Amino acid sequence: MEPRRFGIQLVVVFVVVGFLAGVGVGYGVFYRPPETPVIIWSSTQLAPPSESEIVIKEILPPFEEEFGVRVTFIPEQNYATFEDRLVSEAESGNVRVTVAGGLHGDFTLLTEREYLMNLDGTSLPGRTFIPGLWNLSRTAANEQFFIPWMQATYAMVVNEKAMQYLPSGADVNALTYSELKDWAQNIADNTAMDRPVGFPAGPSGLYHRLVHGYLYPSFTGKTVANFDTPEAVAMWEFMRDEMWPLVHPSSPTWNFMDTPLLSEDVWIAWDHQARFRPAITDSPADFRVVPSPGADEGRGFIAVAAGLAIMEGAPRPDLGRQLIEYLTRPSVQALLAEKVGFFPVVEEAQPEIEDPAIAKIADGVTKQAGAPDAILATIPGGLGERAGEFSQIYKDVFDRILIAGESITTVLSALDDDLQSLFQDTGAEFPLPG
Amino acid sequence: MRDFRGGLLPFLLILPAIVYFGIFFAFPLGEGVRLAFTDPRTGVGPTLTNFETLLSPRYLFGDAIINTFLLSAAVIPIQLGLALVIALLVNSRFFGSSAFLYLAAIPIAISEIAAAIIWLSIFTSSGYLNSFLFSLGLIERRVAFLGIEQPAWLFGAVAMTEVWRATAIVMIILVAGLQSIQKDYLDASRVFGASRLQRLRFVILPLLKPTIQTALIIRTVLAFQLFAPILVLTGRLYPVLASETYIAYVNVREVHVAAALALIIMVVSTLFVLFYLIALRTRWRP
Repeated sequence: MEPRRFGIQLVVVFVVVGFLAGVGVGYGVFYRPPETPVIIWSSTQLAPPSESEIVIKEILPPFEEEFGVRVTFIPEQNYATFEDRLVSEAESGNVRVTVAGGLHGDFTLLTEREYLMNLDGTSLPGRTFIPGLWNLSRTAANEQFFIPWMQATYAMVVNEKAMQYLPSGADVNALTYSELKDWAQNIADNTAMDRPVGFPAGPSGLYHRLVHGYLYPSFTGKTVANFDTPEAVAMWEFMRDEMWPLVHPSSPTWNFMDTPLLSEDVWIAWDHQARFRPAITDSPADFRVVPSPGADEGRGFIAVAAGLAIMEGAPRPDLGRQLIEYLTRPSVQALLAEKVGFFPVVEEAQPEIEDPAIAKIADGVTKQAGAPDAILATIPGGLGERAGEFSQIYKDVFDRILIAGESITTVLSALDDDLQSLFQDTGAEFPLPG
Repeated sequence: MRDFRGGLLPFLLILPAIVYFGIFFAFPLGEGVRLAFTDPRTGVGPTLTNFETLLSPRYLFGDAIINTFLLSAAVIPIQLGLALVIALLVNSRFFGSSAFLYLAAIPIAISEIAAAIIWLSIFTSSGYLNSFLFSLGLIERRVAFLGIEQPAWLFGAVAMTEVWRATAIVMIILVAGLQSIQKDYLDASRVFGASRLQRLRFVILPLLKPTIQTALIIRTVLAFQLFAPILVLTGRLYPVLASETYIAYVNVREVHVAAALALIIMVVSTLFVLFYLIALRTRWRP
C-alpha cells in the first residue's frame, strides 16, 4: 500500500502548507499594527485610475507620515455607487467612511438627509477661499456641510499677438463683452485676421455652457428664469449684429479650441480649461488665460466645484478634519493642479504652481472666480437622463439665432416653453444663478 | 407522404444562422421599430410623437433629407464612373497593373474618421489648400472653406472625401465582376470585328450589369449611413439623415427620435434597393 500512503502524506502536506499560506496572506492583508489608525475616504473625483494612482502614491503619503495615519482611498466611478454606499452606511448606523469627496451637486441629497457633519466654524488658517466657491459650499440656512476642494471652469484664451490691439482703457482681466467686440474689431481692421474670435460650437463643443453660464448671467442676471426677457432679446441682438460678424465662420465645426488657437485661425477663444490646455502647454509663452467678459449684470462664470465633507457618526472625525486641512493647503492645491488639472480654491496656492503652463491657466481661472462682479453659475443637477435636453436648448438658441438666422423673439419664446416644462416635468431646481 | 431527403438535417444545419439572425438582427430591428413608435414620456404606443419631434426646429430634418439625396446623387455616379475606368484599366493587365490595383485600393483600409481628418487638414483654414493658394498668390487671407459662408465648399469637401474614400470599394467589386467575364465572349466579338468601344458597350457592360447592381446597392446603402466624416468636416452645417440620428442619440439623448430617424433611413434604403433590383433586372433571352 505504498502509493496510497504516499498520497495521504501528500494531501497532509498540501493542507498544512495551504493553511500556513492562508494565515500568512490573511495576516499580511488584514493585520495592521493597532497603533496606526485607518480612515476611509470615498470620492467621486479623481476616480479614473491614472488620477487615483496620483492620490495614493503622491498626495496621501506625506499626510499619512505627518499624522501617523493610514488613508484608504475609494475612488467611485459614478455618483450612484457613491450615494448607495454612503446612504446605506448612514441608514444602518454603521458609518465606515469618514471623508466624502465630490462635486457640490453630489452633496445635495446627503445634506438634505442630514448625513453630513456640520462643519461650521472649521478653522483653516493661512488660506483664503475664493468667495464665490465658499458661498457655494454654504446652504440657504448658512450652514456648511462641505469645504471647497478643487475647481474646473471655462475661460478665455488670448494670443499675445492680440494684446497690442486691446482698446485703450480696457483691462484684459476685466473685459466687457462690448470691449471684446471692440477689441476684435480692432484686430480685424489692422491685421489679416478678419474673424479673430472663436467659440467651440461644433457638435461636441461646449458652447451651450457659454450661453447658459456666461452670456445669460452676465446680460440678464439669470440663466433659466430670464431666458425670454427684453434683456435676453437685447443680448441676442448684440451677439447677432455686433459679435457674430467677428466670430470665425468655422466655429460651428470646432469642438476643441486648442487647435484653432495653435494654428492661429483665431486669437481669442473661449473653452473649457481641459480643452484649451494643450495649446497652453504646447507654447505657454504665446498665450494668456483671462477671465471671461462681463456685461450689465456682472461677470457670469461656471464653476464646477468639488468639495470635501465628513460623514455624521463616522469614526475619527478629527482625522477627517485633518485630511481636509491637508488637502486645502496651498502646496497640496498646487500639486493637484499640476498633477490632475483641477484648479485651486484657495488664493495662496496660485504662486506655488511651478509648471508655467498650469500657472498661466490657474492665474486666469483664479482671477475669473475672484472677480468682484463675478456671478457664479452652475451646471444643473437633478435633470437625470434629460440633462442632454437642457444642453441642447442652449445649443439650439445659439444655432437658430446666429447660424440659421431665425427671428430672436420667435426662437426665445419657443425654446422658453421647452425649458420651463423641462424643469416642471423633472422638478429639478434651476441651476445658479436661477 | 412526400419524401424529405435528409429529414431534419438541413434545418438543423441552418438553425445556428437563424438563431444568430434572430438575436442580432430581427430582435434589435423590432426593438428599434418599437422605440420609434413609443412615446418617450409615457412609454405608450403606437404614436407618431417622435416623428413630430423630428419635424420640430431642434432637428434639421428637411435639410437632412435634401442633403442626403443631393450628396448621394452627386457622389454615386462619379464613384461608379471613376471605379469603372480604374477597373477596366486594371483589367487590361498593363505592366504593373496589380501594383496599381493595390495603390488604388488603399482608401478601403483607411477608417472613415482618418479619411475625414486627412481632408480636414486640406480644407481647414490653416490647411494645405489655403497654403497652396496663398503661395501661388491667389489669396491674401485665409479662406474658411469649411464655414458658414461657404455652403458650396462644405458640400464639395464632403463629396470629395466620399469619392476619395469609397470609390475603391466599388472598383474592387467591379474588378471582380470583370474577371469573371469569360474570355470566349470577348474573343468572339473580336472575330466579328467589334471595336474596343463596341466591345465595352455590347459585351462587357451587359455582362457586368449584375455586378454594377451589387455595387450600387452597397454604395447607396452605405451612403445613407454616412455621418462621421460629415460631422468632422462640417459639424452640423451640412446635416444628413445619419448625422442627425447621431445628434439625437448622443447629444440630445432622445433615443426614440434617433430610432425614428434610423427607421426612415432603413425605409429609404430599402426603397432604393428595390428600385435597383427592378431597374437593373437581368433578363435572359434564349
